[in-house]
Amino acid sequence: MGEAWVTGVGLVTALGTDRETTWRRLVAGESGIGPLSLFDTRAYRTSIAAEVDAASLPLPPLPPHLRRMSRASRFAVAATTEALSDAGLLGSEVVAGAALVLSGGAAGLFEAEGYARRRLLHGRRVRGLREFIEVPQDAPTDRVAEVFWVRGPRLTVTTACSSSTIAVGLAAEMVRDGEVAVALAGGSDALCRLTFAGFNSLRATDPEPCKPFDRRRHGLNIGEGAGVLVIEDSQHAAARHARPYAVIRGLGMTNDAFHMTQPEPSGAAWERTLRSALADAGVAVEAIDYINAHGTATEQNDAAECAAYQRVFGERLAAIPVSSVKGALGHCLCGAGGIEAALTVLAVARQVVPPTVGFAEADPACPIDAVPGVGRQVTVRHALSCSFAFGGNSAAIVIGAVP
Amino acid sequence: MRERWPIAAVGAVTPAGVGIPALVEALEDPQWQPRLGFDDDSSPPLPVARPPGFAAKHHIPPLVARRLDRAAGLLAVAAREALASLPAPLPWPGERVGVCAATWNAGTQALVEVLSAIFLAGPEEAPPAQFPSTVANAPASQLAILEKLGGPNLTFFEKQVGGLRVLSQAARLLSRRRAEAVLACGVDEAQWLNAESYDRLRVLRRPGATGMILAEGAATLVLAAEPAPPPLAWLAGWGSAGSPTPTHTYPTTVSALDAACRQALATAGVAPRDVDVYVSLANGLPALDELEIALVEGLFATPRPAAISITERMGDGAFASSLRALVATLLLAGQLRPRWSLPPHLASRSFHLPTARPATALVAGLAGGGSAVALLLAAP
Repeated sequence: MGEAWVTGVGLVTALGTDRETTWRRLVAGESGIGPLSLFDTRAYRTSIAAEVDAASLPLPPLPPHLRRMSRASRFAVAATTEALSDAGLLGSEVVAGAALVLSGGAAGLFEAEGYARRRLLHGRRVRGLREFIEVPQDAPTDRVAEVFWVRGPRLTVTTACSSSTIAVGLAAEMVRDGEVAVALAGGSDALCRLTFAGFNSLRATDPEPCKPFDRRRHGLNIGEGAGVLVIEDSQHAAARHARPYAVIRGLGMTNDAFHMTQPEPSGAAWERTLRSALADAGVAVEAIDYINAHGTATEQNDAAECAAYQRVFGERLAAIPVSSVKGALGHCLCGAGGIEAALTVLAVARQVVPPTVGFAEADPACPIDAVPGVGRQVTVRHALSCSFAFGGNSAAIVIGAVP
Repeated sequence: MRERWPIAAVGAVTPAGVGIPALVEALEDPQWQPRLGFDDDSSPPLPVARPPGFAAKHHIPPLVARRLDRAAGLLAVAAREALASLPAPLPWPGERVGVCAATWNAGTQALVEVLSAIFLAGPEEAPPAQFPSTVANAPASQLAILEKLGGPNLTFFEKQVGGLRVLSQAARLLSRRRAEAVLACGVDEAQWLNAESYDRLRVLRRPGATGMILAEGAATLVLAAEPAPPPLAWLAGWGSAGSPTPTHTYPTTVSALDAACRQALATAGVAPRDVDVYVSLANGLPALDELEIALVEGLFATPRPAAISITERMGDGAFASSLRALVATLLLAGQLRPRWSLPPHLASRSFHLPTARPATALVAGLAGGGSAVALLLAAP
């Protein structure tokens, strides 16, 4: 059986509605976090987020009934379009047999919140039910299948903030196991009042742009977007002379069985996740040259995450660049893992690691090289992309350079 | 991949009540019907089938139960029944036990509570205690916390087929040695705003008309590697395919459903003529009946296999698809003699209730949006 090559990458983020704009601005140290325009934030504790410029989404021609898809579905379709085009598979028959493994998330909740508000305030006779259609979390997955006529196995993973890391890992596993030759994998999520108010209620948000791993960090900023990868059996890809970016080598997943919102502070549970991913990949600890961290910028998460890295990498951790893109892109929740996997793939392919935007002052609880400022040229043989979610669901994938 | 995985234990909370005995009793009573609707008078009258009088605190310590929202409570009780039927202590370390859950609507009650606070009282009044329960993986995560299960913990959202998907994914976790046992679960909660929205989409059953009932409950099937107690049944094959269609409708062709069933049979090495019992996916919607007719007429020659149909009467959802697999397991284990009549579209095509313990069962599922999953289960 072959390897799981990444042959296409699609991105929609607050920094840009395509891969190259996102990458260029991210590596330059720019931030996509700013005032939220999607809804009135005057009554909220914070008013900033990493919002996508949805008006400039590069969508393919769509039939009339798909032109009013939810934001989350539109992000997913736009990122898939770019990934397929990048892989040279847009319009190809190959896509019909592909597996489709995407994350759940808010899906059409932002649109449905308008209906819910009217219903709660005004009773049963309100209009606007059409907005409810995309509330089920598999709606973006269904929409991508419909737009690109994907007829293979269709999975929607919903494990909160680790959803799309797991989606990418499972899709790569399906390719490695020979179940499918091609898989489309990643995730999409959209801003909505529920998550904006919810994280505010937990006092987990920073009213200012977030500062992952920084001594002054006060919490996260919510973001939105999508990241989709074309993952292809290496023999299938080689036969059509496709250019691989990187190889998805392994997946690790565990649950810390500790608390719904608090991380297990010693890092022991997340250590199991990281070691499980490395074992699945057959990659030694010494071969990891970059870590794309979860790095939410909450006090407890960042510290527990670094504790886990210390347990796995020991003294070598200081020499490994560890960055969080959430300082630039916000926390895209169920879409975060797909976006971060896509950026880690680009980091491995281009041998440039993205910076932690917002990081300036080191924290003794986070003894890492957080890559301040701008991106950095680094030799990356293998990288980890890590996600740690509500409910203790953590996941990490190992992404390797093409031999 | 290994071909077969043992189903070592089951547990359920269903509209028939708490536990497998209540379920079996209902399925063996030809007159049984669910009580439909919500308990409180303020909710609109809607065709939802809920476990009568269920409260998690009656089955697990109240101090634990109060941490759980309704969906998490349902799953915790169903899982406890399954785990209690296994040797104690469990033959696997907690870190090697995973959870694979499916849901269609877990978290909707918490979601509506948070949205109500935002819209009626203001965003700063959003209740922090409820927000974590809005994530669909909350029941699976709460189960892990409650039972100290540190293995992979996955939740899949796939409307009416998720409960079948989780069994194939549980097998994947075992096959890849990511876990030594996996609790494959389906859980759904009934919430009035969610149910009312489906009612307004005209897919729910109304008096004197066809339509679907939404089922609330939880089902758990424990799949295990060695060492495991004697299995109730084997998961022998599975298949999956998609038929692109708008997310809230069924496809107009049977191709994905047919492909999933044939793949499940092929991976199990079972020919269609060797299927002893077919577990219907009928839910009362005529569009799905039409697809099922096309499926069974293409798949099964005459004489037809036996068939059972539970979703039409007990309700549909991710939990319901999990329950279909669980009921098939009980049949294969010889623990059930179902007596519910078949829906007309199957009865009129010579399908009949099983009269003997079957050796194989084909369980099919199709979700709105066109995702299809099928399982082939075999007797031990």
